[in-house]
Amino acid sequence: MTSSLLNLTETIRGSRLSCAWLRGGVLAALTVLAGCSVNPIYSTTGIVLSNYSEGEATPYVLQMEDSHLACSLGEGVDPLLYSFSRVTDAPDSTGSLLMLLAANCSEQRAWEEELRYLRADYQGDVPAAKDAREAMKRLNAEIATRRYEAFLRAMRAYHYDPSLDNPACPDFSTEQDELTFLLGLLTGMQAIVNDANSGAMAGVPRNIAPQAERAAQCLDNQQWAGLPNAVRALVWLLIPDTQPAGAQDPWQVFADSARLGVDNGMRISMALEAVAAETFGRPDVLETVLARFADSERGFEVREDYRLVDSVAGEVVQFISDKHWTANYGYRTPQRYFGQLSEQSQQAPAEVMDLEGLL
Amino acid sequence: MIRKSLAALTLSLVTPLAAAQEPVRMCVFDVIGANGDVFNMVKDYALEMKSHGVDFELRPYTDEGVAVGDFSSGQCDAVAATDLRIRPFNRFTGSVSAVGAIPTYDDLRTLLATLAQPKAAPLMKQDGYEVLGIVPAGAGYLFVNDRSIDTAGELAGKRMATLDYQKDAIHMVNYVKATVVPSDITNFAGKFNNGSVDTAYAPAFAYEALELYKGIGDTGGIVDYPLAQLTIQIIARDEVLDDATAQQAREVAWGMYGQAMDLVSRLESAIPEDKWINIPANDVQGYQEMFRENRLQLRDGVNGAEQVYHPKMMSLLSKIRCASNPAASECTAGNRE
Repeated sequence: MTSSLLNLTETIRGSRLSCAWLRGGVLAALTVLAGCSVNPIYSTTGIVLSNYSEGEATPYVLQMEDSHLACSLGEGVDPLLYSFSRVTDAPDSTGSLLMLLAANCSEQRAWEEELRYLRADYQGDVPAAKDAREAMKRLNAEIATRRYEAFLRAMRAYHYDPSLDNPACPDFSTEQDELTFLLGLLTGMQAIVNDANSGAMAGVPRNIAPQAERAAQCLDNQQWAGLPNAVRALVWLLIPDTQPAGAQDPWQVFADSARLGVDNGMRISMALEAVAAETFGRPDVLETVLARFADSERGFEVREDYRLVDSVAGEVVQFISDKHWTANYGYRTPQRYFGQLSEQSQQAPAEVMDLEGLL
Repeated sequence: MIRKSLAALTLSLVTPLAAAQEPVRMCVFDVIGANGDVFNMVKDYALEMKSHGVDFELRPYTDEGVAVGDFSSGQCDAVAATDLRIRPFNRFTGSVSAVGAIPTYDDLRTLLATLAQPKAAPLMKQDGYEVLGIVPAGAGYLFVNDRSIDTAGELAGKRMATLDYQKDAIHMVNYVKATVVPSDITNFAGKFNNGSVDTAYAPAFAYEALELYKGIGDTGGIVDYPLAQLTIQIIARDEVLDDATAQQAREVAWGMYGQAMDLVSRLESAIPEDKWINIPANDVQGYQEMFRENRLQLRDGVNGAEQVYHPKMMSLLSKIRCASNPAASECTAGNRE
């Protein structure tokens, strides 16, 4: 018994020694390959993780419907994955999407605070409303910071310098690259709005808007469900000077883009149209967008590769509707009234019987 | 029972109009609409006013002219807009942005604190309208495409983007013998950036948002002297709030001074240090005298100027400037404002 134990110990020691030799050899080879400044295992792991994330994890996540699960992934994984930028090339394309998802987590929390503010305001509870509004501002600063970072990473990932007068469009290798760049632009625009809603706490540069207008022209509007033109229309409304002579009316552009979005299985342009209607004080447009979005649910075929994008778009529209309902009635949109701005029933009047004789 | 009913009736009779919780519709101008900095600030103001029994219902407008037009036509009970646009409703507070009249933010602070006092209440009313608050929006500066334009004399012959509804600016541009290029908020930046004009004036935060650094290029800059102090003013029809509530509203707005200035400083900090054009101390006095002459003309309606500025505001601003800088030559001038 004792001898067999000794034999086993010897065997293990021997195998440890040979492993150590092997490890040493691999390390030496990697050190030569990777240079001596960083641990080569770290940089190799970074490259492997980055490639895996871009090639496998990102397409998987983009197909998900559960945006809460996806945002948790962003918050949880981003610091780990992006920390590899210390030892190898920064994983900017995946890093941009992860930070974008992390910002969505902050946004979901901010939405809840905004609804709490509106409820308290509706009830006339000023201290509670002020508390919620302050919490909302802080969260907006967090969102703005995350979104600005996502924008910067997206621009870096494709070597695009938005500050140049006429930067050349990036050479995209895949469809996923195009989407990452496009979402980066949208995220940059959102960062400005979040910063303004925070009281400029995050200090996001406001020139992202005209930069996004120029960069959106690098993408095919038809292929991307009308989103490039919707981004441009939003900027035209913000800075009318950026609208080229002879361009269509921005609201018409939104309507066309929204239609393309439904046809292409990704209703993000319609969400942007709703945001614009709310921002620029067009309740008439908002009413039709909500109705159109609700109508589009019937027979809608989502683009499966980008289900998550449509899912987030749906949540944006739902939140805008909830804000309207909470401000006016004190509660969120009842599900059967989604698409409407009031509880005014749309069902046909039913026939009633005469109760005389029963009473 | 009768006593209770009488008490309720009495209470309802003395309750101010606003406390009845009828929403007060306010048109709010913000270039970025409902998600903009100004709109957000007005939201805070409205929330604070709720504790004073006033329920504001805010509507965003990205076109200031339309916001003021809707207020004039009765579609809104109040309006939040820049002092340049509210001059027809109150010439006194509309003169806060008089050219070169408030050279420092400290002076602006003194002015707004002064105007928030109950004693100033009579000056807040004019022709059936009442000012319900003033918050700072930052100083306006001169943006030039050539750093050598650092004296008023250098402006002669230069093309300057000028807001077509701003009579005092038009007078000032003519005074320095520059050429007025009529513009509006939506197109002045484009004109400056594409070189159609040599100079433009704007609040510092426009530098980044409207990419004015493109018009500045490598050769231009921003003249480091406030041309005017832009403010956002809230005006309502006189009958909307009773006098006591209107005074509370002005005090609420004054209470937001720090918040507004934090915002202004954050946005102004986007300008790189090397883009500022410092004016030599010797030249500052000449500038101040030039601005003063203009203000006198715009107060009295002489030398081709219209009567734009209110004499009482000019006098108050002179008092504030001389309190902070008693050695200034204007303080002993025979024609002091």
